Amino acid sequence: MTKVLLSAHVLGAILAVGSIAMAASLFPRYAKQALTDDEEAGGRAGGVAALLHRVCRGYAVVGFVVPVFGLATAAQLGVLTDAWLIASMILTAVAAVMLATVILPDQRRLLAMPRPGAETDGLKAATSRLTMLTGIFNVLWSVVVVLMIVRPGSTTGA
Amino acid sequence: MRTLRAAAAVEAASLLTLFVNLFTLHARPVTSLGGPVHGTAYLVVIAATFSATVGGASAGARGRSFVPGVGGILVLHRLRRYPGAVRATSGDAVREGGRT
Repeated sequence: MTKVLLSAHVLGAILAVGSIAMAASLFPRYAKQALTDDEEAGGRAGGVAALLHRVCRGYAVVGFVVPVFGLATAAQLGVLTDAWLIASMILTAVAAVMLATVILPDQRRLLAMPRPGAETDGLKAATSRLTMLTGIFNVLWSVVVVLMIVRPGSTTGA
Repeated sequence: MRTLRAAAAVEAASLLTLFVNLFTLHARPVTSLGGPVHGTAYLVVIAATFSATVGGASAGARGRSFVPGVGGILVLHRLRRYPGAVRATSGDAVREGGRT
């Protein structure tokens, strides 16, 4: 049964978190193009940005599979109190809070920015900030994945 | 809204399955698989409710989403009675092919 739970956990991580990581990192570029490029190219970039935001938002909800099934797997394996697991749970929580409270609202704000007369200074600052936050978000997930594989201090092999 | 509807159904059905299993067979696979499924559905209901509604006293939907087991169903009922609580989705921009 542990194998089924672990499969669901890993599958969720690859499909949901992977999609969010990809879409979120592409988003700032298209959001910026949507506001700075000429009418036609800007409109196209705006559509792409809206889709990327939708991917982030939609898969964020699906992403709940990952921690829930991860916890169930850990409980069955009896590793809930291992330091590597607690560390990755904290990092996961930080990443999730970042996504829900900073990245998604920032994306929504960029999408809602009016096109004409958008002062390029504020726009540049907003997209740079979002790019940085998305980078940190992705690094957090990378660290969690490495922790899951290396499991420092674990005695269960690999 | 589609997510909310699906999650509400899974939330209620999985809890029912868990209880029926508890009082009858008590098969271990059902418990260990149904638990996480129900937990996921419960959290998805809360997240979907918060993203699909506007806050405020008139809503009341958000509070209902925390009710275990039937929270999703309560939220759907509430939203049917108070359609004003539903947030105008920004995701529609995709269908319109442009910015919101």
